[in-house]
Amino acid sequence: MPERVGTIREAINEALREEMGRDERVFIMGEDIGVAGGVFKVTAGLLDTFGPERVRDTPIAEAGIVGLAVGAAMTGMRPVVEIMFSDFTTLASDQIVNQAAKLRYMTAGQTKIPLVVRTAMGAGRRAAAQHSQSLQAWYCHIPGLKVVMPSTPADAKGLLKSAIRDDNPVIFMEDKMMYNEKGPLPDGDYTVPLGEARVHREGTAATIICTSSMLYPALEAADLLAEEGIDVEVIDPRTLSPLDDETLIQSAIKTGHVLIVDEGYQSFGVTAEIAARVQQGAFDYLDAPVRRLGAADVPVPFAPSLEDLTIPNAERIVEIVKEMRA
Amino acid sequence: MAKRRSPQAEAVESGAVSLDVLLDMYRRMVTIRKFEETVYDVYSRGIMPGLAHLYTGMEAVAVGVCISLNEQDNITSTHRGHGHLLAKGGDPKRMFAELLGKESGYNRGKGGSMHIVDMSLGILGANGIVAGGLGIAAGAGLSASLLGEGRISVAFFGDGALNEGLFYETANMASLWRLPVVYVMENNHYGEYTPSDKATAGTGPARAEAMNIPARSVDGNDVLAVHEAAQWAIGRTRAGEGPSFVECETYRWRGHHMGDQGDTYGYRTQEEIEQWMEKCPIRRFNDYLVGENLTDAQTLEKIDQDVQRLIDEAVEYAKEAPYPDPSEVFEDVYA
Amino acid sequence: MAHEIVMPQLGLSMDSGQIIRWLKQNGEQVEAGDLLLEVESDKSAVEVEAIESGILHIVLGPEAGDIPVGEVIAYLLAEGEVPPAGDGRVAESASEVVSKSEVGAEPAPQAVKVVAVGHGNGPRPGRPRSSPAARRRASQLGVDWRLAVGTGPDGRIKERDVIRLAESGEPAIVGAVAEEVQISPVAQRLAESVGLDVRELARQYPGKRLERADVERAIRLALSGAQPAVGPGSPGAAKPSRQPMSSLRRLIAERMSRSARTTAPVTLTTEADATDLVKIREGLKADSQTEVVPSYNVLMARLVAAALMEHPHLNASLDGDEIVRWNTVNIGIAVDTERGLVVPVVPDVQEKSIRQLAPAVNDLLSRAAEGKALPDELTGGTFTITNLGHLDIDAFTPIINPPECAVLGVGRLLEKMVVVDGEPAIRTMVALSLTFDHRLVDGAPAARFLQRVKQYIEQPYLWLV
Repeated sequence: MPERVGTIREAINEALREEMGRDERVFIMGEDIGVAGGVFKVTAGLLDTFGPERVRDTPIAEAGIVGLAVGAAMTGMRPVVEIMFSDFTTLASDQIVNQAAKLRYMTAGQTKIPLVVRTAMGAGRRAAAQHSQSLQAWYCHIPGLKVVMPSTPADAKGLLKSAIRDDNPVIFMEDKMMYNEKGPLPDGDYTVPLGEARVHREGTAATIICTSSMLYPALEAADLLAEEGIDVEVIDPRTLSPLDDETLIQSAIKTGHVLIVDEGYQSFGVTAEIAARVQQGAFDYLDAPVRRLGAADVPVPFAPSLEDLTIPNAERIVEIVKEMRA
Repeated sequence: MAKRRSPQAEAVESGAVSLDVLLDMYRRMVTIRKFEETVYDVYSRGIMPGLAHLYTGMEAVAVGVCISLNEQDNITSTHRGHGHLLAKGGDPKRMFAELLGKESGYNRGKGGSMHIVDMSLGILGANGIVAGGLGIAAGAGLSASLLGEGRISVAFFGDGALNEGLFYETANMASLWRLPVVYVMENNHYGEYTPSDKATAGTGPARAEAMNIPARSVDGNDVLAVHEAAQWAIGRTRAGEGPSFVECETYRWRGHHMGDQGDTYGYRTQEEIEQWMEKCPIRRFNDYLVGENLTDAQTLEKIDQDVQRLIDEAVEYAKEAPYPDPSEVFEDVYA
Repeated sequence: MAHEIVMPQLGLSMDSGQIIRWLKQNGEQVEAGDLLLEVESDKSAVEVEAIESGILHIVLGPEAGDIPVGEVIAYLLAEGEVPPAGDGRVAESASEVVSKSEVGAEPAPQAVKVVAVGHGNGPRPGRPRSSPAARRRASQLGVDWRLAVGTGPDGRIKERDVIRLAESGEPAIVGAVAEEVQISPVAQRLAESVGLDVRELARQYPGKRLERADVERAIRLALSGAQPAVGPGSPGAAKPSRQPMSSLRRLIAERMSRSARTTAPVTLTTEADATDLVKIREGLKADSQTEVVPSYNVLMARLVAAALMEHPHLNASLDGDEIVRWNTVNIGIAVDTERGLVVPVVPDVQEKSIRQLAPAVNDLLSRAAEGKALPDELTGGTFTITNLGHLDIDAFTPIINPPECAVLGVGRLLEKMVVVDGEPAIRTMVALSLTFDHRLVDGAPAARFLQRVKQYIEQPYLWLV
C-alpha cells in the first residue's frame, strides 16, 4: 500500500483536530483563524467541528491573545494560540518572555503553563522586512521556553501533538513558504518526541545541520556534492530548545567538518550556539573550523532579486562544504 | 432623639452585613497594615533583599473586595501585592519567608515579593510587570467560562497600569466575550513617581465604559463603600453579565518602593501625605464601628493584639527558616 | 525595652550612609512619626522618622562618618531606662546580616605565589598550523605532526597530511623535537627553590610530565652524594684531577650564582657581648632536669626570630615586582656536610619555645649532616643563619640564600678584654655579619635589625620572657 502523503498544512490541521478531539481542554485562539480558517488556511474547518468557544477569532491584540492564553493555561486549559507572523511576537514579548516562560520557576512549581504559540516565520515570500523574520534565536535564549521547528509534514504533525501535550510553553515555528510542501504523513496518533534530531541523509565527508525549511537547500546541496564524490550527512535538529547535542556532536566526530544552516540572521543566532556546542564536544576531531550560514545581517529586502541574495541557498552550501574540505 | 443611622449601620442591623463580616474586614485590614509596617521595619534594617512595595494606607480596597470572594475565585495583583494576597487569605508566615528568600516561603524563595502565588487560594500572583496580571486575570475568566466553573476573576491594578496597552487588549476581549472578570482600579494618584494627572488623559471609568464595561468610582478608604461597590460588580459579573469596573480612590502612605524619595517627601508634599493619613481607612472604620455601637473598643483592641502576635510570629518564623538548597537553582525551569 | 535605631536602608544599592544631623536632642522625648535625623545616602539627603516612641539616646553622630546599614546609631529608651551595656554599636540585626567575605588566613610561606612558567601557550612564530583532528591522528599513529606537509588553507596541516606522513615511512618519531618541559607547578617550585635544573631532569624522563616525586627523587639523589663515574685522569700523576660536578655541587653552584647575579648584597658587621647568653647555656647544661640542651644555633635562631617579628622587612622576599612579607619566621641553618653545603629549615620559630625547638633542631641538623634531611625540610626558609664560629671565623660576608632577603653570619665565641662602664672586663664576644639585599631593604633599617639582634644576645631576658 502506498505511503500516505500530505502537506505540512494538512499535517498541522490534522494535529490540531486530533488533539482537540482528544482533550477538551485544548482550544485555539488567534486572528482570523476561525471563520477565515487562518491567513495560511491552516486552521480551515476547525470552527465547524469544534465551535466558536474553542476556535476563537480574536481582535488584533497579540499581547492580549498570549496574555489570556497564559491565564487560561494557569487555570486548567491547554491553549494553542496563533501569532500570524513571527515578527508580531514582538508585540507579545512580555507575555511570552516575562510571564509564560517564568511563572513556573518563580512560583517554584506551583503552576504550569501548557501553552503553544504557533507562528509563521521565514523569508522568500516578498513580504519585506516586517513580515519575513526568523526570530527563533530570541526564544531559544529564554530559559523556560521550548522552541520547535518542523521541516516535513510528518514532523509537523508529530511535533505539534507532542508540543500540545507538553506542560511547558512551546514556540512552534512554521515556515510560511513550506505549507504546501508534500511528504509522508502518517495516519493516526503519530507523535514525535521533543528534543530529538533526525538524520535525513548519512555521509562521512561533512555534516550539514539545518533547521526548518533549510532542510531543502541542504538536501539539494547534498545531491550536488554527491555528484562530485562528496557524501555529506544532513541532520535536522527539529527541536532547537532543548537541543539534541549528542546526535550533532557524534556526527561532527564522524565527519570532522560541520556546516550549520539556519534562516535567522547570521550574527548572534542559532548557528552560533550550535557551532559552539559542536566545537566543544567534537574539538579533537575537527579537521576545519565549524562554519555557519544564516540569513544576511540586513532587514529582509522587498525586491525579489535582492531578497534572494539574503537567504541561504544550495549553491552557497556547496561552496562552503568545499571550502571546509579544501 | 433618634441618632441618624448610616446606611451601613442599617445594613448591619438589617443583617445585610453581619457583625462577623465587619470584624473580619477589620481584622484583615489590620493584618495588612501591621504586615506592611513590619516589612518597612525589617527592610530598613537591611535584612530583606530585593524590592518591597508597600500597601500601607490602601487596605480598604483589597479587603473591601476580597471579603466577598470565594476561595476558588481568582485574583491577580500588582507589584504592590501584599495587601491583596493577605486579604485573599494568604499566610503571613509563608509570605514573610518568601520576602526573605527562604525555602519555606510560598515560592521557596525563588520569586520574592512581586511573584507570590498560592493556587489553592486562587491567587494567580503578584506581578513584577505593570499591568502584567491583566492578561492572566482575563485568561482565568476565559477558562472559567470554557470550563463552566462558577468562579470569577478579579484584576487589581493601579492608575499607572491603566495606560498600558495590555489593559485595553485584554479588557476589550473580556468585554467582547463577556468573561467573568472584575476590574478593580486602585487610583492612588501616583504611577511610580509621577502624579496621575500628568500621566492619564481622562478617567479610568470612562475608558472602561468606552469598552462597554459598566464602571463605578468610590472612596477607596471607606471599606464599606468599597464593599458595596464590589458586591455590585461581583454580583453582576458572576451572574454572567460580563466584566465590571470599580475605581477606588485611595493613597499609599509610603513611597513607590522601599527607599524612594516619596517616602520622605520627595515628589509628594508632607501636607498631601498628612491629609491622606487623616483619612486612614482603619481608623475610620474603627471609629465607625465603635461610634455606631456595633462593637466596643476592647474587641477591636483585642484584634489588634492578636494580629500583632500573628505578625510577630510570622517574622520569627521567616527569620528562623533556612535558605533554599543550591540544587534548587535548576529546578522547575520546565515542568 | 530599648528600641534600636539603626542606619536605615534607603535605597536598593545603599550599604552605608552618613548622619548629616540629628533633628532631636539627646535625652529628648520622641513620638512615633517624629522626624529624627537627616541621613545622606549616595543619592541625596533623606529625613528619617521614628517608628517607636521613647527618650532619645544618641550613639553615633555626624562625626562617625560612613556607617554601615543596620548599625545601631541610637536608642529610644523608656523613662529611667539605661541603654544596653557593652559595645552597643553592634545591632542585633548585624549578626543576621548575611556575612560578606570573611577575612581568610594569610597564606603560609610555602604557598608562594609562583607562576609556573608557561611554555608555548600562545602562537609562536614559525610554528605550523594544524587541525585538532590532525594532531589526534598523529598521536594515534605515533608520528610528529610538525613534520607533516600541510596542504590545507594557508598551509594548515590536516588529518590527511598526517596520514600521508605516516604512510611515507619517514622517520618522525615523537620526542625528537621535545622543546618544552612539562612540569607541574608544585614540582617547578620545589626545583627552583633548591636550584635544580629542570631541563636536565626532563632529559631523564622523556615525554613525561615531571611531578613533585620526580624532583624529590633528584634532590635525594643529589644529597646522598651519588656521583657520576670519575672521568679520565688518575690521581697521583702530575696532571690535575678532574671530576664532573656532583648534582649537589651543581645545585649549590646554581643557587650561589643566582644569588650573586640577582641580589644587591651589602654586609654589615658588629660585635655582641654574649657573656650572659653563654651563662644561660652553661646553666642549662649543668641542670640535671634539662633533657636537651639547646645549641647556640637554637638560641640564635630563636632570638633572631624574635627580632625578625619586630623587623618584618628583613623577613621578606622579592617576587617579580612585589615584596612578600612572610607572616612567620622559618629559619634555615647552614650545615656543612661532606658533600657540600645544605640548609635545612626550622619552621615557625617565633612561635616555639627553646624547650620545643632544641630537640627538633638538633635532630634536623644531624640528619641534614648525614644527608638524610627530607626535601621538604630544605625549602620554605624566610631567613638563614650561618655559623662559622667553630672554624675560628669572626666577621665574614655570607651570601644571601635566594629568595630570602638577608642572612646572618655568626662568628666564634671569643673571650676578650673590653671596657664595661669605664672599667676593663673580660667578656665573651661574638662577631655578627648581616648580609642583606639592598633591593628590598635599606642600610639603616637593616642596621636597626642587627642592633636588635645584638641587644637580644646581650640581654636574653628581653626575648626569653
